[in-house]
Amino acid sequence: MATPVEAPKLGNTVEECIIAKWFKTKGAAVSSGETIAEIETDKATFELPAPVSGTLIETFFPEGAMVPVFTVICAIGEPGENVEALRPKAAGPVSGQEKTDSLAGDHSLERKGWQAEAPAPQVMKPSGSKVGQALSPASQVGSVVSELVLSPRARRFAEEHGFHPQRVAGSGPGGRVLEDDLRRLYYGTPRTSFAARKCMEEGAEARGEGSGPGGMILSEDLGPAPVRMTGIREKIARRMRESLASTAQYTLNASAGAAGLLALRARIKATPGAPAINIGDMVVFCAVRALLEFPDLNAELIEGRIYRHAHVHVGFACDTPRGLMVPVVRDADKLSAADLAARMKALTAAAVQGNIALDDLAGATFTVSNLGGLGIESFTPLLNPPQVAILGVDAIAVKPVRRDGGIEFLDFIGLSLTCDHQAVDGAPGARFLQVLKRNIENVETLCTI
Amino acid sequence: MYDLIVIGAGPGGYEAAGHAGRMGKKVALVEKERVGGTCLHVGCIPAKTFLRSSKLYRECGESQNYGVRVGSREFDMPAVVARKDRVVGTLAKGVATMLKRAGVETISGQARLVARNTVELGERRLEAANILLATGSRPAVPPISGIGSARVLDSNTVFGLATIPRRVAIVGGGYIGLEFACFFNEIGSQVAVYEMLPHIASGCDRDISSRLLQILKRKGIEFHLSAKVTAIDEDAEGALHYTEADGSQGADAADCILNAAGRAPNVAGLGLEEVGVDFSAKGIRTSDRGQTNVAGIWACGDVTGRRMLAHVATREGIAAVNNMFGRKDRIRYNAIPAVIYTHPEVATVGQTEEELQAAGVDYKKSIVPMAVAGRFLVENEGGSGIVKALAGARHGEILGVHAIGDSSSEFIVAAAVMVATEMCVADAAGIVFPHPTVSEALREAILAMG
Repeated sequence: MATPVEAPKLGNTVEECIIAKWFKTKGAAVSSGETIAEIETDKATFELPAPVSGTLIETFFPEGAMVPVFTVICAIGEPGENVEALRPKAAGPVSGQEKTDSLAGDHSLERKGWQAEAPAPQVMKPSGSKVGQALSPASQVGSVVSELVLSPRARRFAEEHGFHPQRVAGSGPGGRVLEDDLRRLYYGTPRTSFAARKCMEEGAEARGEGSGPGGMILSEDLGPAPVRMTGIREKIARRMRESLASTAQYTLNASAGAAGLLALRARIKATPGAPAINIGDMVVFCAVRALLEFPDLNAELIEGRIYRHAHVHVGFACDTPRGLMVPVVRDADKLSAADLAARMKALTAAAVQGNIALDDLAGATFTVSNLGGLGIESFTPLLNPPQVAILGVDAIAVKPVRRDGGIEFLDFIGLSLTCDHQAVDGAPGARFLQVLKRNIENVETLCTI
Repeated sequence: MYDLIVIGAGPGGYEAAGHAGRMGKKVALVEKERVGGTCLHVGCIPAKTFLRSSKLYRECGESQNYGVRVGSREFDMPAVVARKDRVVGTLAKGVATMLKRAGVETISGQARLVARNTVELGERRLEAANILLATGSRPAVPPISGIGSARVLDSNTVFGLATIPRRVAIVGGGYIGLEFACFFNEIGSQVAVYEMLPHIASGCDRDISSRLLQILKRKGIEFHLSAKVTAIDEDAEGALHYTEADGSQGADAADCILNAAGRAPNVAGLGLEEVGVDFSAKGIRTSDRGQTNVAGIWACGDVTGRRMLAHVATREGIAAVNNMFGRKDRIRYNAIPAVIYTHPEVATVGQTEEELQAAGVDYKKSIVPMAVAGRFLVENEGGSGIVKALAGARHGEILGVHAIGDSSSEFIVAAAVMVATEMCVADAAGIVFPHPTVSEALREAILAMG
């Protein structure tokens, strides 16, 4: 008896996921625990291990398919075993047109967002070559195909040229399509070379004018094939757009003396067995402390109500191979600097490896984004609504400081705080930065190792 | 004030002038010698008339292979030259008529740029919005002692030969040297070709050039490859001295020595430095639209040093005119056919296998014998040849076609269309080729890649 493999439920809020990649093809031998597929949710990507050893008898969905969780996506068993009984009701054979058709017919599934096929990218495509193939017309005017009335000569031209556009503006009486109308459309549309057409079938897009004979679009004239946004990327994109559209963001830039950070870091490095706390961890720790004094910034704004939180759940932006992820340290205010650093390290590793629990990616009350390690001296972090503030941590840079009639060059760390003006005015934001600056400058006493 | 002044009335210049004239532009065409240029007077056309006569002469000798017996044959050099002059004269008249009809003003004289829009002709100064430099090229003179002496002919002076030489030594195994090697071989001269490179017809696909070498050797032409001509004695009784690839030295007592060591662009005396046009000894630098670095100054043909072929010059000239008058036009150098009029002919278009390998392109190829086309057997008793086709491995777009065998020059344009329009093997397979023609070998080569 074959073993069905289901799309896993990867978090409390996950209802559906995308089969991003099959690592095993139909008929391949798999051993228990071996990765057979990559599953993508709107937050992260996960590897799906084979629950048992055997042969991958059938995959019920192609790559790119979005399926509800707990749907049977493939079956593992003995070679030759019949697994049709395991096939999900609406999933047709993986290859071929039938599947798409059968799904298209099932509206109840469509409504649920069930797609066995990745949605076709919405791109502008120039018409294909006219030689030996019907051409989609450039003209948008005119009547639809069923209503086209072609003159006999137009019909002959269409037959001879294998040219059957769906819309033509007929210039004859009663919108009748004359040979000249077809001719104009046929010769007036830029042609595409055979090779360019093949490249376009693979997704490449025409940019600008064709450079071949008579303006023909050649493969060299094509731009690269666009890459479909991953689920995570789309999620980031949507959230960032919503962030800008739904908030009144402003950013305050300040800097804090970094002598304490550097001294503490040096001490940690020099002390065997000291907890691994880096400068970024120290700043997060200082920010969490400062937030306890400024509950206005450790808050969420939801439909006209401000929710101030008693505890700080700090999210931190994390650069992963799959894109930006924001793991969350819950109750960060209860943790020592060392514990906070350790927790951040563990969450970062999980996010980078792609096996972070989805519940560790939700519930932040404040976010920190650190680009200082990449040398950024000032930037505009974007809010993660409904949070009302996000702190950007910048690089440490040397600044001249007037002291005792002379100039000294001291290390400063840049701080970029974005707040939602709907909930937080400029002055409280600035006061938070003052406290944060004080914390950072006194980090050696604040943060005991 | 002209819309365009063209300097040089070869196939680049006169076609461009005619094209601009037909567009209704005010055009002057300046030529210091004869309208028609190298191609018409001392290049393509005269060489082909000579080769037509030598071919016929050879065929008379081989006519019994076709069941035809002829009496004694004689190669009448003065008559051959006279025919050449007739053909050239007819074509020259045609060019003159075309220019007249197009309303082009032809001016005789040596022009020199004095500003970006001004040309000096002796005492006269002409101004134009655009200037097209089409001054062509001349036989290159390699640094060999004695090569400049009067007894050494080049592709300009060889057409004045009054008698058939006993032995001809040709310096250079490129297309010019090979065509003359064929000519002299067919009319009964002993022929030796001295080439510095290890192969002849440089730039040709190696499968083609090696076959050509084989065939020409079989005809009795002597080849010295990787050989260096070291000196030429200036007195008529003297010899051509050379060093072979293995270092051994030799002397060739040929009574006729032909310098066919390539061509050099005519960039001197044009005022390029004064006006700031970017150029080197290898030619004037142009874009694929025919522009030089100086706005309003354009160049086409051999003077650019890009591809020294008459039809390239024409295409470049017309593209430059289109661009200067607002019609965007770009020359695609990847689909230019080239022919070597040896017997048998070599005709090629697109990239060679060596070029594809160097560029790291994945390709597939086919080689078919010309004899797959019935007409080839009919026309070429005892002849052999091949068509080699190259296509992209992934899409099957035709990248190059290389043929050796008569009359590949007449059907290579079909392959040029395929390369220029990126036709794929599957699509080209649907094209109908007339039967029986030699072009069917092209069809077979394409089908073989399917």
